[in-house]
Amino acid sequence: MNENNDTVFVKNLSIKDGDKTLVSDLSMKIEKGEIFGLVGESGSGKTLTAKSVINLLPDNLQLTADEIVTAGKSLLKISENERRRHVGNNVGYIPQNTVYYLHPMIKIKNQIGDGYIYHKKKGKDEALRKASMLLNKVGFDNPENILNFYPWQLSGGMRQRVNIAMALMNDPKLIIADEPTTALDSTVQRQVMELFSQINSELGISILLISHNLGLVRHYSNSLAVMYAGQIVESGYTKEVFSNPKHPYTQLLIKIIPSLKIKKSEPLQEIPGYVQDSGRDASGCLFIERCPYAMEICSKYAEEHEDKGHYYKCNLK
Amino acid sequence: MLRYVINRIKGSIIVLFAVSLITFFVLMIIPGNPAQLILGTDATPEMVEDLHVAMGLDKPLYQQYFGWLSSLLRLDLGTSYVYGESVTALIAKALPVTLSIAVFAMIIATVLAFLLGMLSAVKKNSFIDFFSRSIMQLGTAIPSFWIGMVFIVFFGLRLKIFPISGYVPMSQSPSGFIKSITLPSIVLAIGEIGTLLRIVRSSMLDSLKQDYMDMAKIKGLSSWKIYMKYALRGALIAPITIIGMQFAKLAGGTVVVETIFALPGIGRLVLTAVEHRDIVLLQGLVMFITSTVVFFSLAVDVIIMLINPRIKSVERGE
Repeated sequence: MNENNDTVFVKNLSIKDGDKTLVSDLSMKIEKGEIFGLVGESGSGKTLTAKSVINLLPDNLQLTADEIVTAGKSLLKISENERRRHVGNNVGYIPQNTVYYLHPMIKIKNQIGDGYIYHKKKGKDEALRKASMLLNKVGFDNPENILNFYPWQLSGGMRQRVNIAMALMNDPKLIIADEPTTALDSTVQRQVMELFSQINSELGISILLISHNLGLVRHYSNSLAVMYAGQIVESGYTKEVFSNPKHPYTQLLIKIIPSLKIKKSEPLQEIPGYVQDSGRDASGCLFIERCPYAMEICSKYAEEHEDKGHYYKCNLK
Repeated sequence: MLRYVINRIKGSIIVLFAVSLITFFVLMIIPGNPAQLILGTDATPEMVEDLHVAMGLDKPLYQQYFGWLSSLLRLDLGTSYVYGESVTALIAKALPVTLSIAVFAMIIATVLAFLLGMLSAVKKNSFIDFFSRSIMQLGTAIPSFWIGMVFIVFFGLRLKIFPISGYVPMSQSPSGFIKSITLPSIVLAIGEIGTLLRIVRSSMLDSLKQDYMDMAKIKGLSSWKIYMKYALRGALIAPITIIGMQFAKLAGGTVVVETIFALPGIGRLVLTAVEHRDIVLLQGLVMFITSTVVFFSLAVDVIIMLINPRIKSVERGE
């Protein structure tokens, strides 16, 4: 098994809330240096999956997995303390809603570097020098000023860039970006995504990009996985999946990406129905209720296919 | 920041002025002639009349009020009938007693409330949380006169570790001073700890749920850092407000505890003033206690502004 070459390797991950299954039998891997897109509707379990990878699952949920490797270390084989230190030292996290991820009562300079100081055993001056350098890299011309601000004195886009700089402090092997552009307007969104691309190509950092925006993932990721109701229904190289989508859900998602050619009177397209939040441990296909091609066999069983890294779970051939 | 403080001071002065009006007129319309009360039932009508005039009680109320207010501004609160001493001097003598037990009580209550409150929030539903919640209930429910008497009987009479009553000034004997204020301080602390503990625990629980805690965990910081730097910082405002209010309340005198332990503090003065209808003393005390409360709420606001700089800019309208 080539665990050590992959930045993330997850095998048969299940997450339960008591009797309720939230994520079932999920396996995925993120290769070193790639941008991996995780897409799906709200409630499909994208964030929970990402949180399992970085040891941040809420205490009330139960996790089982055969293997979770994050940045070269199996999280299941080490103690909670070691897990926390390993993740802190090797993973950067860029959250969705940026308002309170930075502590509102602490100046940027007093929170941006504390992970660096703790893990790399460096002094505060050195941490601030590095922070200034990174803030400059993420597009601030006057990083020293930014360091003296409180988070609420910055705009949403500025805060997100501070988060990105903070995620880069420890030279991580992996960055998890959970809907990183959702709260931003489209100009800033583009800037932030270009920044990710740049970080990825210049520093070789793997990025797990969680998004419900398929257009974004198509443009920026090398590989992707499509999640539905706590399962991965299709995964593979982005180009391959987009040019040859196998699962009806993926096909529908691609079909409804809003294009600029849309007419004013034309309603936005959608997939009818909702992602179910119960019965996710059923043996059949979970998309059956909304699938235009549903067959009788789909309620009992969904066949898994894998062809040169292109995986999908559907009875259609 | 300075402007914010100045604005708050202006507000406080208006409050104090309103309080002086209410204090003066409410006490003046209480039936009964103060001159008669001072001289007792044996006095002749002439003697009462003479004193009435001497005290200026024959003048119109507004003149009396402005006379009182102007001497108030010179910190002259008049002379107590009961003690025959100036009210300012009486308060100055009683204040160290009351402040000593108030400060000690709040130190005890604050330290314990933060310790237990933080632990029980971090380890929610554990034994320590159960223990803290029991203290919340008991602290609020047990009357202080009862716990005070239990302490006197147990520590004072049975174990003879602490004196059962009285106050020893610090200048006279530091160890005697500590001994004399220990029991009353603990009794007061028990009365305040329940409320404070509840606030610390719930603020802490709220702070632990915030997104910045996730970020602190992902950074892999030590638990100490995560809880002391991030969680506690976000949970300080409500407890500090409560501490300020509680301290202001205690600094204004605690009638029950001071009486039980026979401490010559502000609370005892209030009791004497009420019992003997010493209106001058009572007016002075009410003004003093209100000023204390106003002063502490001002101080709390400034402290909170220093901790949470966001308030500054809101006040400035940014």
